[in-house]
Amino acid sequence: MKLTKVGAIAGIAVIALSACGGGNAAKGTVKFAIELPLQGSELAASEPIINGVKLAIKQAGGKVGGYTVELPKTAIFDDALNGAHDAQTGATNMTKIIGDPDIIAVIGPLNSSVAKAQIPISNEAGLAQCSPANTNPDLTKGDPAKTLRTKPNNYIRVVTTDDVQGPAASQYIYDVLGKKSVYVIDDTETFGKGVADAFVADFTQRGGKVVKHEGVPKTTSDYVSIMTAAKSLNPESIYFGGVTATGGARILLAAAQVGLGDVPFVGPDGINDGGAATQDSFLNLGAAAAKSAYSTLAGIGDFPGKAKFDTDYKAEFGIDATGYAGQGFACAQVMLDALARAAATNPKDNAALREALRVAMTDVAHKYTTIQGDITFDAGGDTSQKIVSIYNVKDGNWNFLTQVDYAAK
Amino acid sequence: MTRTVGAPASLRSRAIRVVGLAMAAVVIYTVLLWQAIQLVSGLSSDQALPVALQQTVNALSIGAIYALIALGYTMVYGIIELINFAHGDVFMVGAFLSVVVTGGIFGQSGGVTNVPFLALLIAIALICVMPLTGLLNVTIERFFYRPFRHASRLAPLITAVGVSFILQNLALVIAGSGDRAAPQIFPLDWRIPVGGAEISVLSIFIFVLALALMLALQFYVTRTRLGRAMRATAQDQQAAQLMGVDLNQTIALTFLLGGTLAGAAGVVWGLRFGYVRQDLGFNAGLKAFTSAVLGGIGNISGAALGGFIIGFIENFASALGFSRWSEFLVFMILTFVLLFRPTGILGQQLGDRA
Repeated sequence: MKLTKVGAIAGIAVIALSACGGGNAAKGTVKFAIELPLQGSELAASEPIINGVKLAIKQAGGKVGGYTVELPKTAIFDDALNGAHDAQTGATNMTKIIGDPDIIAVIGPLNSSVAKAQIPISNEAGLAQCSPANTNPDLTKGDPAKTLRTKPNNYIRVVTTDDVQGPAASQYIYDVLGKKSVYVIDDTETFGKGVADAFVADFTQRGGKVVKHEGVPKTTSDYVSIMTAAKSLNPESIYFGGVTATGGARILLAAAQVGLGDVPFVGPDGINDGGAATQDSFLNLGAAAAKSAYSTLAGIGDFPGKAKFDTDYKAEFGIDATGYAGQGFACAQVMLDALARAAATNPKDNAALREALRVAMTDVAHKYTTIQGDITFDAGGDTSQKIVSIYNVKDGNWNFLTQVDYAAK
Repeated sequence: MTRTVGAPASLRSRAIRVVGLAMAAVVIYTVLLWQAIQLVSGLSSDQALPVALQQTVNALSIGAIYALIALGYTMVYGIIELINFAHGDVFMVGAFLSVVVTGGIFGQSGGVTNVPFLALLIAIALICVMPLTGLLNVTIERFFYRPFRHASRLAPLITAVGVSFILQNLALVIAGSGDRAAPQIFPLDWRIPVGGAEISVLSIFIFVLALALMLALQFYVTRTRLGRAMRATAQDQQAAQLMGVDLNQTIALTFLLGGTLAGAAGVVWGLRFGYVRQDLGFNAGLKAFTSAVLGGIGNISGAALGGFIIGFIENFASALGFSRWSEFLVFMILTFVLLFRPTGILGQQLGDRA
């Protein structure tokens, strides 16, 4: 059963690849959709992604393989509810997206819990989906990933996973910062707990001491008492699993208040959401308390074309590229590349184009040349680039320190 | 139920008894926590005592915030038997206004170490915010509850839910949906060393401020003419009216007092936690409402007691590393108390028509 499926994909892929020479005559206008949370502190994380996608489409001239690619405002969907991402809203949005025949691909979502609700819908419809930020391993690996899909894979992501992101933070704390004990606190959500668990496993394996692993839901009001308890355990560092919207900055402020202000506070990509000037961002809320904060990004920070990208981005949007801007750009590049190959098969209508694009995008043999470097995607949808970047705080902004490549490990 | 006003001697002995009981409860809590921390966290006895002391002060401070909000619920319920669901949102508005005053008007963002200036700032924040939230509460009563005063009890209740949504969505539109930084003008590194523990001055300040406001309220309600009018209205609206009590004025006054206290709670919230957000009123309001029910809704001392009890329960869970169970604990204890004492711990003193 599975073999025949793989065979079918490979077969279609071969046809798609071999069917070169498709005319470049105008084939009409198609739309890319974006699906991200656009409220509160998560807007600070989503905005760079949207800008990255826009920039990529603009630089490609908006035309690929005879198709004009558009990104109208109506194709940018918001999955936030009351200021934070909401899986149910994400699922509703995905239903709307697959219902629009002009939409041939979707970029998003930001959060793994939303992706979990969306993949079954986009998979059923055979719509190509590229996430610039999902890091939960269950979306692409093993049985959990299989239960999300009834049809051939349609989902890829350009960032690596939390089973690498957590360990990268752990390695940095243990080896580079030289802190041998840690207090771990997570927001009890899919992403936050997942990355914190991966962190704890790695830190323990290195011989470090996890003084306590506490789960605190985002509805908590009194973080000061929790951090007072943390202080009594004398941790040398703090690891937070979660995002700014689920309490990142509140925990940081409470930690500073009880006298843990000088202890390194390390978090995942969920707190790397823009500089202090960006309203609602971790650094904006944490302000002076964030002086010993570190964050990771589950993607490459120092990519080959970074200088040019930063210049172009600043020229286009007037602000510095932050967070997952480069990943948004890469997702759009992947989609445009796949669209060019899909267009070459001369699909008869948009529905056929959608399927051809999905097939082209998930082609495990194709090497994509993106701003992040040359990458391929495996059968589950994971990128071959397993790099995690580490940032500290400098002048109210996240400052790239180093990146760790886990591909060889 | 009647209450005797006067007899200063008996009042004084009652006050002494209450203070004694409260202090005993706090000491018992500290000792209990001290032992529990040793058991759960594996700290030695010497290490655990300072932590227990610090946590007790934390509990007093969060409890004080809950109590301040709970008073507004309980007074309104006592006088017109309305559960004012918008009250938590009045607190939220207070928190935002305090950010506007300290951050917006005075441009502060961090700790102010100049004591007179700090005192001035906090005083100005309180003086600006408290009347505004008080007036907001009065306005809500005038336009949303008063027209329904003689309608079925369900009508104002649903209106209250609606007002809550209106306030929350107004905040959403004006301030956006995420956390907003609140200037923590009270220096957070001010701590007093007490027996190895470092007691946060801010926690003590919050507790003392709340206590002072609660005592002022108690004095006002029990010792002044208008306070007597409030109690009379709570006992029997019609009879109070016949005795010359201005009903509208008295009810408006109750809302004013409740809103004022919620405003004060909003100011100290920003100082302590450093953020405000549009749905703050829901969570804090839920806890405060629970406090009021736990203590005996309609009963002023009960609301204060309930606020502190909930503060202590939450703190107990957090201190032992079970913070995700804190809400479970709070509502379990509430359920048990209501099973055996349906009117709450202190009973429904102020309003007894329920």
